[in-house]
Amino acid sequence: MRSKTSTLCCTRFLWLLMPLLALGAGTASADGWWWDDEPQPQVQVAEPFIEWHTGPASAYPVIRVSEKGEWLTLLMRKTQWFKVQDDHGREGWVHIDDLLLTLDGQGKQVALSRPRFDDFSSRNWEAGLMMGQFEGGTVTSLYGGYGMTENLSVELSGSQVLGSASEILMINGNLVHQPFPYWRVSPFFTLGGGQIYIKPKATLSQPGDRTNWTAHAGLGLRVYLADRYFLRAEFKDYKIFTNRETDEEATEWKVGLSVFF
Amino acid sequence: MESWTQRIFLTLSGGSLLALLSLPALAADDNKPLIEPDVRPQHVDEALIDTENFELGAFAGVLNIEDFGSSFVWGGRLGYNLSESFFMEANIGFAEGGETSFETLAGNVQLLSDDDREYTYYNVNFGYRVLPGEAFIGESYAFNTNFYLVAGAGSTDFAGDNRFTWNVGMGYQILLTDSLALNFSAREHMYQIDVLGEDKTAFNTELSTGLSVFF
Repeated sequence: MRSKTSTLCCTRFLWLLMPLLALGAGTASADGWWWDDEPQPQVQVAEPFIEWHTGPASAYPVIRVSEKGEWLTLLMRKTQWFKVQDDHGREGWVHIDDLLLTLDGQGKQVALSRPRFDDFSSRNWEAGLMMGQFEGGTVTSLYGGYGMTENLSVELSGSQVLGSASEILMINGNLVHQPFPYWRVSPFFTLGGGQIYIKPKATLSQPGDRTNWTAHAGLGLRVYLADRYFLRAEFKDYKIFTNRETDEEATEWKVGLSVFF
Repeated sequence: MESWTQRIFLTLSGGSLLALLSLPALAADDNKPLIEPDVRPQHVDEALIDTENFELGAFAGVLNIEDFGSSFVWGGRLGYNLSESFFMEANIGFAEGGETSFETLAGNVQLLSDDDREYTYYNVNFGYRVLPGEAFIGESYAFNTNFYLVAGAGSTDFAGDNRFTWNVGMGYQILLTDSLALNFSAREHMYQIDVLGEDKTAFNTELSTGLSVFF
């Protein structure tokens, strides 16, 4: 909330309300959740001026400019926007592109993290959400992965398939190999296994639930988008080891959005 | 005479108190330069800047379950802001289906057991903020606001089965502070259901309001 005049008491009141929302007030430590224990970082404007917006988006109007030489305190970050405060206590939002041109206390250009393609190839952790088709049913899948080397990573995923005849839950672990990790559009191969739980629909009188082991092989593409986001598309062929005479096979394709850390 | 002695004692004790207080102050002054330089932190340590891209919230409202009346719905929401315009959100909601008009008219008929009337859904959506703006209350307060559109998919557990469910919606968000937001939202949930004989697409409308905290 911004105010045109003093709103201190109102803000305090809202802050008092916050613990009611049970967001682990007890765990909030010295990182400036409730009050600032450490001095906040400050930067000095080096360009002729930088613009302040009323909110963290370019569509919010510009309310003020800071001139060259002015010091700004960085209070908070939301996506690519930083909430700043000047020496008069006034507050506003500045875009990271403008802040990257400011100087720190040593007169050096400020380094703020702005994930780029280079980070994409050197990331460690990633997570994503994918949707697609698994044998005629709609599959929704969440996964998380850890990159052990540039080429090789391990992943764990959970999927739910909702078809016209049954509901399927799957959990899978797999290895992913990327032969060309430095490509913007990078293909990968995957091998893995897991468990599948199949539950027929209530309105169909079919034999009951079953759980089976599975193995799968697949291939896919990772396409770097921007910032820390990339698209991921994959096709997998599953072998389901039943306790009947023949094993079953299933195919699956999915497309989704992933984030790397 | 009595007041004189009092005055002497007071002056003495006051003086010694002052002397005591000023001693550490004098000692401290020795170490300080006469003019304090305007000290600025040397490095910009990004870890000291609070990043608030996640949103956690709770909501409550009314859900109209096709053929099963309207009922109270409540749930939770986790959001992640991808950029200033795009966000992702995951919702979970709980409600309970009422009686169909057939059940009400026929009297002693139960289409669904009580367990099957429990309505639970989850969904994952993409959102896009349009029309960022400001709302003014009186002369003194201005709040940042935005209008957003969401669309996504998930699952609804109702009438004995999990059903694949699309949902689209829109909402209005008022940022009470930079870390606390008030949301009003309207959503349409769509799934295939054949409980009442024919297979059809059910359209369930949800109107809700909630609070969310950025972290």
